[in-house]
Amino acid sequence: MAASAKTPISRTQTTSLYKPYSSSLQLPFKFLKVTPNSCAAKALSICCALQMEPKVGPGSQVPDSFGRFGKFGGKYVPETLMHALTELESAFRALSGDVEFQKELDGILKDYVGRETPLYFAERLSEHYKRPNGEGPLIYLKREDLNHTGAHKINNAVAQALLAKRLGKTRIIAETGAGQHGVATATVCARFGLQCIVYMGAQDMERQALNVFRMRLLGAEVRAVHSGTATLKDATSEAIRDWVTNVETTHYILGSVAGPHPYPMMVRDFHAVIGKETRKQAMEKWGGKPDVLVACVGGGSNAMGLFYEFVDDEDVRLIGVEAAGFGLDSGKHAATLTKGEVGVLHGAMSYLLQDDDGQIIEPHSISAGLDYPGVGPEHSFLKDLGRAEYHSITDEEALEAFKRLSRLEGIIPALETSHALAYLEKLCPTLPNGAKVVLNCSGRGDKDVHTAIKHLKV
Amino acid sequence: MACNLQTSFLPALKFPAEATLDKRRGNGLVVCSVASAADSIMTESTPTGSAAVVRSRPLSRREVETSERKMTDTTGKFGRFGGKFVPETLMTCLSKLEAEFNLVLHDPEFQEELATALRDYVGRETPLYFAQRLTDHYKNESGCGPEIYLKREDLNHGGAHKINNAIAQAMIAKRMGRKSIVAATGAGQHGVATAAACAKLSLKCTIVMGTLDMERQASNVLLMKLLGAEVKSVDGNFKDATSEAIREWVGNLETNYFLIGTAVGPHPCPSMVREFQSIIGKETRRQAMERWGRKPDVLVACVGSGSNALGLFHEFIADEDVRMIGVEAAGFGLESGKHSATLAKGEVGVYHGAMSYLLQDEEGQIVGPHSIGVGMEYPGVSPELSFLKERGRVESYSVTDQEAVDGKQLPIAISIMLIANCGRSMCVVSKSVFCFTVGLQHTNYCAD
Repeated sequence: MAASAKTPISRTQTTSLYKPYSSSLQLPFKFLKVTPNSCAAKALSICCALQMEPKVGPGSQVPDSFGRFGKFGGKYVPETLMHALTELESAFRALSGDVEFQKELDGILKDYVGRETPLYFAERLSEHYKRPNGEGPLIYLKREDLNHTGAHKINNAVAQALLAKRLGKTRIIAETGAGQHGVATATVCARFGLQCIVYMGAQDMERQALNVFRMRLLGAEVRAVHSGTATLKDATSEAIRDWVTNVETTHYILGSVAGPHPYPMMVRDFHAVIGKETRKQAMEKWGGKPDVLVACVGGGSNAMGLFYEFVDDEDVRLIGVEAAGFGLDSGKHAATLTKGEVGVLHGAMSYLLQDDDGQIIEPHSISAGLDYPGVGPEHSFLKDLGRAEYHSITDEEALEAFKRLSRLEGIIPALETSHALAYLEKLCPTLPNGAKVVLNCSGRGDKDVHTAIKHLKV
Repeated sequence: MACNLQTSFLPALKFPAEATLDKRRGNGLVVCSVASAADSIMTESTPTGSAAVVRSRPLSRREVETSERKMTDTTGKFGRFGGKFVPETLMTCLSKLEAEFNLVLHDPEFQEELATALRDYVGRETPLYFAQRLTDHYKNESGCGPEIYLKREDLNHGGAHKINNAIAQAMIAKRMGRKSIVAATGAGQHGVATAAACAKLSLKCTIVMGTLDMERQASNVLLMKLLGAEVKSVDGNFKDATSEAIREWVGNLETNYFLIGTAVGPHPCPSMVREFQSIIGKETRRQAMERWGRKPDVLVACVGSGSNALGLFHEFIADEDVRMIGVEAAGFGLESGKHSATLAKGEVGVYHGAMSYLLQDEEGQIVGPHSIGVGMEYPGVSPELSFLKERGRVESYSVTDQEAVDGKQLPIAISIMLIANCGRSMCVVSKSVFCFTVGLQHTNYCAD
């Protein structure tokens, strides 16, 4: 198929039957695909340039002006937060035309974060999935684990910190589950000289003690949240409460593609560099596109970061992998898109794990980063459209995959990433020979060593 | 960091200060020509630089074999330092290793495979990061001060510079048909890097570690085990682990490969390690040229045994206008007797197969070193660094545990604290490049 099915400029061109977005309408945002050579910065960096186009009419675009992805998304927040969200959205749009901002961001992504991250051919892992006749898919890992702080989270944290500075905010708050987003936020606040407060569930603080220590070392204040189940959802609620109280001075760096508009869109756009680099690297390595993209889904930021670039490429399969915890029937899992129902949580309409009274069900996963009862609204949208598939993996299967990648490639993945890796066991036997699979290796597993050791016989 | 890093033996010029950026390849193409003379490159390291003679074409097999024969006669000396002070049982093995090393330097296929591994697996090239706030912190009242850049070796796979050497040597071991790697580790970074490289290349891996170190670096021990390595414990710390690893190696020379993690040991080990780490300096030169159009003024790196320091410095040895500063661990203070400041307080002797400075008592027994930075806790130091220090090419200083902890970044801050003191007296804007070689893992230390 044509390698350049997409023009560099606009998503409004329709070439295929089945598009998630209405083809007759203009997108409110025009995404400029900037090739490396035309980038103002060195050829080493990818520029993520966003451009606003005047809106022609309402439509289920990415997202629309109300922040909706179809029926999902939106801004279900108290009135006190509406102004802050509007201000944030305007700032984000303004920056889309700001070359200086893009240049500064690209420089930081290159020199501070360490982008671009490699697309690594996992030879031994591919061998492992070869069938007896020698056929099998080729597995590539997008090495987000090599980023500064060890996960993809920093892409978004850095960009939002820059944004906050532009807004004149001096105080940053964030929520964190696994601690990676907390560490990323604390890191960028130290880098930019901003005050940093991180909310973390008390249970998560125990599971991820090393990350707690890191945040403090980086100068952040880590506040334990004891309410509810003392995990990510409670930390998020607490952070939102703080934001409502301190909205003039404070910017809330939300860690995932969840929350009220404009967060799902902003966080996705800041992570979209992952997919953009992947496209370029795939072209360099094998002269084509990936056939399948696989990523773990907690809130959904690393998955959206990888998928977004390819949403319009119908021939690229998008697979998200959630946490099935102790099993889907056990009631102890975090498989929102498989078992959830539509509702509103943390400011957005999306699938979520709720009981008959609409109360949030406590999720469970061995990995703190996937232990979230909601999911980003854009994922809910892609699922309903059938554009992306969502599966789930149990704790056991994830631990096996954790061990497998360590032994076969010498890369210790985060437990979150291990869920995506575990799905390869089910996926690879079904793929044709030579199919190119790109899996987002979203984080490294040093932080999970103690958890893993408790469960594994090493 | 992905970039089309190609380390190839070229029928080309000596590595130019300006990079040859081949834009058609998409990313920056760093040309690192590793050249070898008919006389051994690995013997003489003079202040005027080592990698001198450049070939106009790749060596033929016959030429390589000829130089192999010459190689086996080389002594691996840096002035009076270095050498091969080993039992006779090891001499053949070391000669074979030297020959193989020379071969791979000339083998474009190996170089390309290594370059791919460094780019896609390790994540090179690492950025040269301008530390704005740190620079501002060290400005004096009139607003003058040095500009501080950090060479981000912490962003490598595994979190340190160790993997540069581990992956290259593991590839050599595989080439030589060895099935099993044995290595010694102090901080655990080399152990983790070796275990990772062995997993990737499906080699059996045994890491020897001192019990004292295993306690302090329990997380790294877990990482090694997860990566499939067997971790053997031995009483003591890194120096004892090294001795045990060498013993293990000698016991099974045909199948074992001793993967040394730092620029110590008998020839060709110091040269091999330095050669594989020298990618750090090569990238730095190119990046400095891109950023500010010339070389750095000062290079600073922490010195345990010296691999990261040599990796940064080696490229610039011939550039007399580039100052080189190695920072050792003064532990509880140089007068306390509890430190690891080998270059400052050591005397010349033979240890682990090489002549070098080392911490010894009057009877020539090794003095147990101490530092809060486990990776710096070694009573010896690289023979090449000893040589450079004696010639006055490299300056050495030391920083105590307390000073390091106050800087909150252990071995790196050791460097930063020191340059801070130098920096305050400078009113000339100069470009200091710090080799930032350790990562987040080491935050374990501060837990108490």
